[in-house]
Amino acid sequence: MTAVFDFNDRVTLTGTLTKIDWRNPHTYMTVEVKGADGGMETWMIEGPPPSFFRIRDLGKADFEGTIGKTVKVELSRARDKSRSGLIRMLTLPTGKVVSACPQNC
Amino acid sequence: MKNFDRIAIVFAAASLCLAQSPAPVAGQELSADAKSKAAAEARAKRNAQAFENRATVIAFYDRSGKRVGSVGERALYDETILSPDRKRVAVVKEDLANESADLWVMDAATGATTRLTTSARTEFVMGPVWSPDGSRLAYVTILAGQEGIYVRAANGQGTAELLYKNPGAFLNLSDWSSDGRFLSFAKSDLSGGTLFTLPLVGGGERKPVEIFHSDLRMFGPRFSPDGRFLSYIVLDKANRGEVFVRPVDAAGGGPWQISDGSFSMAFWRRDGKELYYLARDQSVMVAEVSTSPSFSFTKPKVLFRQPSAVPDRMAYVSADGERFLALPPPRGPQLQQITIFDREGKVVKKVGEPGRYSQPSFSPDAARLLVMKGDLQTGQQDLWTIDIATGQSVRITDSTLPKVNPTWSPDGKHILYVSMRDGDWPVYRRAADGTGGEELLFRYTPGAGVGLTDISRDGKLLVCESGGVILAVPLTESDPLARKAIETLREEFDDSLGRLSPDGKFMAFRSDEAQPERFEVYVRPLDASTGMVGDAKWQASKDGVNGMLHWRGDGQEIFFRGMDLNTNELHVMSVEVSTTPTFRAGTPKLLFKLPGPQGGNLGNISRDGQRFVFAVNVPAANGER
Repeated sequence: MTAVFDFNDRVTLTGTLTKIDWRNPHTYMTVEVKGADGGMETWMIEGPPPSFFRIRDLGKADFEGTIGKTVKVELSRARDKSRSGLIRMLTLPTGKVVSACPQNC
Repeated sequence: MKNFDRIAIVFAAASLCLAQSPAPVAGQELSADAKSKAAAEARAKRNAQAFENRATVIAFYDRSGKRVGSVGERALYDETILSPDRKRVAVVKEDLANESADLWVMDAATGATTRLTTSARTEFVMGPVWSPDGSRLAYVTILAGQEGIYVRAANGQGTAELLYKNPGAFLNLSDWSSDGRFLSFAKSDLSGGTLFTLPLVGGGERKPVEIFHSDLRMFGPRFSPDGRFLSYIVLDKANRGEVFVRPVDAAGGGPWQISDGSFSMAFWRRDGKELYYLARDQSVMVAEVSTSPSFSFTKPKVLFRQPSAVPDRMAYVSADGERFLALPPPRGPQLQQITIFDREGKVVKKVGEPGRYSQPSFSPDAARLLVMKGDLQTGQQDLWTIDIATGQSVRITDSTLPKVNPTWSPDGKHILYVSMRDGDWPVYRRAADGTGGEELLFRYTPGAGVGLTDISRDGKLLVCESGGVILAVPLTESDPLARKAIETLREEFDDSLGRLSPDGKFMAFRSDEAQPERFEVYVRPLDASTGMVGDAKWQASKDGVNGMLHWRGDGQEIFFRGMDLNTNELHVMSVEVSTTPTFRAGTPKLLFKLPGPQGGNLGNISRDGQRFVFAVNVPAANGER
């Protein structure tokens, strides 16, 4: 992971969850975020495997139900500076905070 | 490396004849709350078993290798660090229920403990180091997702102070300099390792100072008593550890390789005249050293060696070089006796003498066994075949590189295995008669772990797994690097142990679909030409599966290892099945039980389903090595 993501380059995003890919070995979320210039930016965010969330009582349906809603994500940005990153902390619309650390930190 | 070292849907509808078509997954009838409760109960039982199997005490040895005492309640000790005056032990203890580990200070004489940290779930403490005066402990922990080095009083009073916020993770804190002015730590990943010191004095933000970077992984930097040198461990590409010493100041010469094979970081004696480490055979080694005017050392010699073939795990050396802290094997020293059982669980034959054996599997003709054997002297693990009738063994591999998933080719002429190379896990094969070299069969995505779980009867398709995904790998391309994996089964559930039916038309596998962290056996149709599974799905087990998934050679029976979460027993389970015209499964039944803890693997059942081989734990006597 350290080859792709820079743990020293952290970004916190608040935006709309628009898509999920809920399969092993990693989950992916697409979040639409309002950029500094007012335009919309599309961020691709990698997360832990589905089992990580399942044992925390968060299933695929919970995330499908979040599509279209606002989430807050703290991530380690990709080294290539693309709009992608690895989840460190995720705050769901319910207020539930999921830490992907230490695995993803 | 810490201290000295470092698992239809015809749930067989009750009977074969009722199990005609795919049915819903068992467990879907349960409410979400009931599932959650069941999962929690199962987790608690697994934790209780894990504790029983792994918990140990702390033992002390003197310089002559004599065990002079033990202290502490049975616990899961991750790290154990003696205070400078060796009157206390800083211990990191695991809390399985909370998935965490915390720092405690234990009185070395009485075992009385004081708790220093209370971690949130999934967070943990690691790398405690004592201040030179023994009044404080620095350690690494994660608070709210942020890793950092903290310090607090060793008596548990006051609050913890953040010394350094680590932007990454898995900082390997390993020492506090004698003058109290620096901490030392290492950071290692697939790109290599870096040694750092962290100045503790002066104002402003504390910034680590990089001492040395290597493309090899490094661990455990420890200061010489005068603070001028660092000892540290380098892991080479073959995963071999060596102790090195280099000056903190790059202009000071070196580095010097001290060891010829090391299993631990090094420990300086308080006067700077001796350096200790653990050799690969677990002998405690000592080198006479001097740091003035420059660094010099003598060839290391054995200080002492435990007589048992399964020695206590040495964990720390006191600053005066007089006490050696060790963690005894949880269930006493044990070796393994290769033992063959019949379907009733009666012993048919014991093969050879007890040794450090694991993963025994039958050759296709059931005349030979493939085993992983650990050398009692060096600890090196290699693959061997053993002729069951004569006991004659043939060495297949000879390397320190980790090797897993040993598998017979369908014709019995080759041995396949996965071996770590430079962070990758390629699949190799070698001739089963021990001749010739190693042949690369498949290399997966760089950096991704891969396991080998089966090969088709025609030898043309490998079945592998990686990160909960089952992969099919056609061996049609002549260039092994051109061979591509097909994602046979990739879903939100953890799928593993893909096993092909003898006719190649079905795949049995293990999945936690019904309940997180609880696995059952499922079967799906497979199109071998595409490597993809069909939509139909049958469940062939009901009370949980631990592994050992195996088809009988005629495809009429599936075996698996069942679970008993209330005891440590291994349950050998069987379910009658049929694959024509479609898959049908009967009711799983218990064949026999073995006392636990006991391993089981993918090849340990003969093709005719009549023989079962296990590496059975037996007590190891002193002097067996």
